[in-house]
Amino acid sequence: MLKVSVKWQKEVFSNMEIDTTQPPYVFKCQLYDLTGVPPERQKIVVKGGLLKDDADWSKVGIKEGQKLMMMGTADEIVKAPEKGPIFAEDMPEEEQVVAVGHSAGLVNLGNTCYMNSTLQCLHSVPELKSALIQYPPPVRSNTVDQSSHSLTVATRELFNELDKNVRPVAPVRFLTALRSKYPQFAQLHNGVYMQQDAEECWTQLLFTLSSALRSSGSGEDADALKKFFGIDLVGRVHCPESGEESMETESVYSLKCHISQEVNHLHEGLKRGLKSELEKSSPSLGRSAVYTKDSRINDLPRYLTVQFVRFFWKRETNQKAKILRKVDYPLSLDVYDLCSDDLCKRLEVPRRGPSNASGDSSVSAPGEGTPPEKEKHLTGIYDLVAVLTHKGRSADSGHYVAWVKQENGKWIQFDDDNPIPQREEDITRLSGGGDWHMAYICMYRARDISI
Amino acid sequence: MAPAEPSSSGGATQGQPPVKSPANDPKKKDEKKDEDLSEEDLALKQQLELYVERAQDTDPGLQKVALESMRQEIRTATSSMTSVPKPLKFLRPHYGTLQAHYEKMSDSDLKKLLADILSVLALTMSPEGERESLKYRLLGSDGDIGSWGHEYVRNLAGEISQEYSKRQIEEAPIHDLMVLVVQIVAFHMKHNAEPEAVDLLMEVEDLDLLVEHVDSANYKRTCLYLTSSAKYLPGPDDMLVLDIAHSIYMKFEEYPRALQIALYLDNFQYVSDLFQRCKDPLKRQQFCFILARHGVSFELTESIIADDGERYALQEIINNTRLSGGYLTLARDIEVMEPKSPEDIYKAHLIEGRGSGGGTVDSARQNLAATFVNAFVNAGFGQDKLMTVPAEASSGGSSSSWLFKNKEHGKASATASLGMIMLWDIDSGLAQLDKYFHSPDTHVVSGALLGVGIINCNVQSDCDPALALLAEYVEKEDASIKIVAIMGLGLAYAGSQNEQIRSILMPLLLDGRSSVDVIAFAAIALGLVYVGSCNEDVAQNIVLALMERSEAELGDPLASFLPLGLGLLFLGKQESVEATAEVSKTFNEKIRKHCDMTLLSCAYAGTGNVLKVQHFLGQCAQHLEKGESYQGPAVLGIAMVAMAEELGLEMAIRSLEHLLQYGEQNIRRAVPLALGLLCISNPKVNVMDTLSRLSHDTDSEVAMAAMISLGLIGAGTNNARIAGMLRNLSSYYYKDASLLFCVRIAQGLVHLGKGLLTLSPYHSERALLSPTALAGLVVMLHACLDMKAIILGKYHYVLYFLVLAMQPRMLLTVDENLKPLSVPVRVGQAVDVVGQAGRPKTITGFQTHSTPVLLAAGDRAELATEKYIPLSPILEGFVILKENPDYNEES
Repeated sequence: MLKVSVKWQKEVFSNMEIDTTQPPYVFKCQLYDLTGVPPERQKIVVKGGLLKDDADWSKVGIKEGQKLMMMGTADEIVKAPEKGPIFAEDMPEEEQVVAVGHSAGLVNLGNTCYMNSTLQCLHSVPELKSALIQYPPPVRSNTVDQSSHSLTVATRELFNELDKNVRPVAPVRFLTALRSKYPQFAQLHNGVYMQQDAEECWTQLLFTLSSALRSSGSGEDADALKKFFGIDLVGRVHCPESGEESMETESVYSLKCHISQEVNHLHEGLKRGLKSELEKSSPSLGRSAVYTKDSRINDLPRYLTVQFVRFFWKRETNQKAKILRKVDYPLSLDVYDLCSDDLCKRLEVPRRGPSNASGDSSVSAPGEGTPPEKEKHLTGIYDLVAVLTHKGRSADSGHYVAWVKQENGKWIQFDDDNPIPQREEDITRLSGGGDWHMAYICMYRARDISI
Repeated sequence: MAPAEPSSSGGATQGQPPVKSPANDPKKKDEKKDEDLSEEDLALKQQLELYVERAQDTDPGLQKVALESMRQEIRTATSSMTSVPKPLKFLRPHYGTLQAHYEKMSDSDLKKLLADILSVLALTMSPEGERESLKYRLLGSDGDIGSWGHEYVRNLAGEISQEYSKRQIEEAPIHDLMVLVVQIVAFHMKHNAEPEAVDLLMEVEDLDLLVEHVDSANYKRTCLYLTSSAKYLPGPDDMLVLDIAHSIYMKFEEYPRALQIALYLDNFQYVSDLFQRCKDPLKRQQFCFILARHGVSFELTESIIADDGERYALQEIINNTRLSGGYLTLARDIEVMEPKSPEDIYKAHLIEGRGSGGGTVDSARQNLAATFVNAFVNAGFGQDKLMTVPAEASSGGSSSSWLFKNKEHGKASATASLGMIMLWDIDSGLAQLDKYFHSPDTHVVSGALLGVGIINCNVQSDCDPALALLAEYVEKEDASIKIVAIMGLGLAYAGSQNEQIRSILMPLLLDGRSSVDVIAFAAIALGLVYVGSCNEDVAQNIVLALMERSEAELGDPLASFLPLGLGLLFLGKQESVEATAEVSKTFNEKIRKHCDMTLLSCAYAGTGNVLKVQHFLGQCAQHLEKGESYQGPAVLGIAMVAMAEELGLEMAIRSLEHLLQYGEQNIRRAVPLALGLLCISNPKVNVMDTLSRLSHDTDSEVAMAAMISLGLIGAGTNNARIAGMLRNLSSYYYKDASLLFCVRIAQGLVHLGKGLLTLSPYHSERALLSPTALAGLVVMLHACLDMKAIILGKYHYVLYFLVLAMQPRMLLTVDENLKPLSVPVRVGQAVDVVGQAGRPKTITGFQTHSTPVLLAAGDRAELATEKYIPLSPILEGFVILKENPDYNEES
């Protein structure tokens, strides 16, 4: 019979008796009574070794009064959960996009940042994506020429790819299609493709898509792009000399913001952009006279594109020079006072809407004659969703970057293949007045309410 | 004549301006001055001229009177020296006359008297290099050397050292010089000029003389000067100097300092002598605390301490069993017990704009980073928010859920992190880990094994639980289990030179079936266990293992651990490595140079040997042939060697800056790591800026190394500037998983132990280098040389080698029963007081706190109360306080 002390966690059981005639298992059972640790879970450390259940006490070499240490707990053994977590590293790329929270960047294929930034901005228009998905129509119409068709298809494919990838996408096919449709984008200078004006690319691309989709569309969707981007203007042409007056209507894809000494804010620029002077022959005077044209918006699109007229042709340097003037633009734009009286009337009810419905736009105001089905109405208020900026001193040089608001509300700066998260405050700082990126094209989305 | 030797003028402490400069002036100047002498001076001048004339008289009586008066004049003047004393000045034109007269004199007392005077006059007159002052001194009357003033003695000392070296070359007898030396040393030691005395004795290579002349008033300054000059002496002189310092400390019973030197010399005979000499049980306990901090395992035998009870209690202290308790006392006092989650460290809300990069999906890489951050931050606290289950939670609750948020081998690191959290607390730590041993998942089991090793790191238990638990797993077939069991043993028994571990690990080295990673870890583990032991047997086996392996196997990234393990055996042992280094020249050429660099860098680690630093710099200047990798270890070698003392360290930082500019890519990758080692847990602003710049380097490996090093220099400091840098980096690199991983690790390191720990291997006022701590750091840094293959691969748990260097950076005062005792202390920046007379202030810009307190790098503490007497002069770690019997409450 030996007496030892056993240390278990912070406790010490002194004067434990060991019956050396019995196997150590019996000793472990003694400890089981004291600690509640089942014998098979007990590890008894005897001077750098473990006590085996069937060991011979005489060979273990235990001395009277020796200190032993017991390890072991009655804790439950850890089990792996039935379903382990899924790691981002194991996921296919499409799912990673969701996790990352923004789509992929575009590889610069050699001075193609004008195109990349344009594409990133347009890519943020979900309506355009869904319209493209329906293209080409089952029956291909002959009104679309081959190059427009392939450009439209390339756009669709590219948008698809952007949604699926986390890693940057190389828009090779799109670039080829673009250059075959518009050879001016394939201009070479010293054997290198030249930098181009992003606005030109934007306009041409929309034009092509519009014509391609128009031909494919049917019924009310006939002119989908016009519904998304088109702005109807009604202009009063007035000749102060003769007093002639006439009305003209036109449809444009973007509003121009003219920049002059007085313009400090987008709104002022837009107002100036809607006024113009032109010289044409006056039938009453029988000679050409100066006419003033004062346009107003007659119909609003879902997406309002605003172009800052920052570039002008400078004859001396033979290039499109840039106006660096700072022109502030808001995160939400109200164009109500640019609208024609007719449109203003139409906008009035929706604009009152939210206040009547106590701010809840989804619930129609009770008491009023509720229309049987809810319809989305424009309010004339727009939220900024994408900014295309330019950095540099002329349109054909420098660097274009797209700043796009994602569906989750975060802003991403798409600098070619490198998407960088940005804060909303920083977006309004792109208003120019220095050599930093400055807004060239802004795209606003209509804030609509259902009534 | 210039001051004789730089060394003797170095200790100019008496504030005398150099007085010999007029000696160089042309005589014209003197004559000019004659005209505007005051009457008094004119009288003195004429008086002296008269003496000179009389001295040449034939009448011995007259001669004697003249000489004695002359001596009188000189002596009274020398006592207040601010410029060349007037009598000396006026006697200068007559130096030649007196010299000529001296030659003509017959031997007599008078001649000796004149020799004395000439000796003093030679102070300003002797032509350069002639040492006439010494010559006449030896010819003179051999009187009290101090009677001629301090400057005279200093001048003589300078001339003696020149004469000595001349005679050494000529092999002439030096007995007459030594007589003078004894006089001079005695004079210096009595007059607060210990550095001069030491310098002179070093010049004449007879430091033993010093021991007789030190007394209780000057031994502290003497030893301080000896120990600090030892750093700059070439071997073996430095050992000799330290030996003398040790014997002086022993003579004056300044035992803790003696122990410090014994540890520096790695001389355990001295340590046992100490225990035998000093019978005071309290002091012995203090010695044990110092031994424990140094991280050496020292076994007290019955022959050292006879009493069983006391021996047992002391051994407990050496085994560091109180470390965990002391650390937790500190943590409670500073109120940082509350566990921190990785999110508390990342502080994503402070990052501007950029999203936390996160979606809702778990990333295995980032979860692994969080595991390490959690482990580093909560190290030793025994609780955290991820791994330890709160008592009330149901079993198998939160801990296992976090564990299984790690992927495959990540689970090993996650389970092992539990060991880090329970660091130093063997009893409860092993209980926590127990359940993981029974898991069916091999990664979890391997993590538990590593955890056991980590818990037992730097603490020993007399039951040897780590050995008991890990030994059987070393035999397992599964390589992943085998490796962690080996690593666990290495961590738990680092520096112990445990025979049992050797018998377990050695066979693995030569087992042809072992894969390279297994033998790599076995070599490292053996290197750790036998760190700095120069063990021939182990070295032999590692060398054989290196020779046996094929070239392809040696190309494995982990193969570089084999030479490193070999190097660790010789850590800091300088020449002892030479035989092995010679053998390494026969290795496969692929690793030959790598091996050579690693061995050299380890052997001279912490020596400050400038020649070796230059050797490494030279290696870095060479252009690599393809596939060579030796420059990485060479760059690290610069840091390892130069980290010994402040001056060399600053120089090394500048040299590394040059390497960054001119070095090739593989050198640039190692430079941040070298900087990290040089300034470990000591965030110097210039290094911080360099690393911050490198963290944006275009080469991602440079950037990764820079970020890890930012963590290393800030380790355990909570440095706000580094934390801010890393936060910005985390948003800058949010997209690149590998770089982000490194940022996270660095963030965890900066908040190591919530700012209570340090990784610095230096302790005791930066005088001692803990070999195990340095070994741990070096292994981790070598692993970082190939970041992609090792730390970003599946061997991320090598980061746990850092545990070897982790120590609380605290001062914990305890009473005679070793219970924590709070007393006021002043903590401030340490001031270098070497060679300063009197009792200069040792700290500056201090603040008064109550213990326990944290000590930053370069801080020193001193008691702010007279009520207690510390048993160790070095207020770091555990310090026992004794009540001051002379303390008077009122005063």
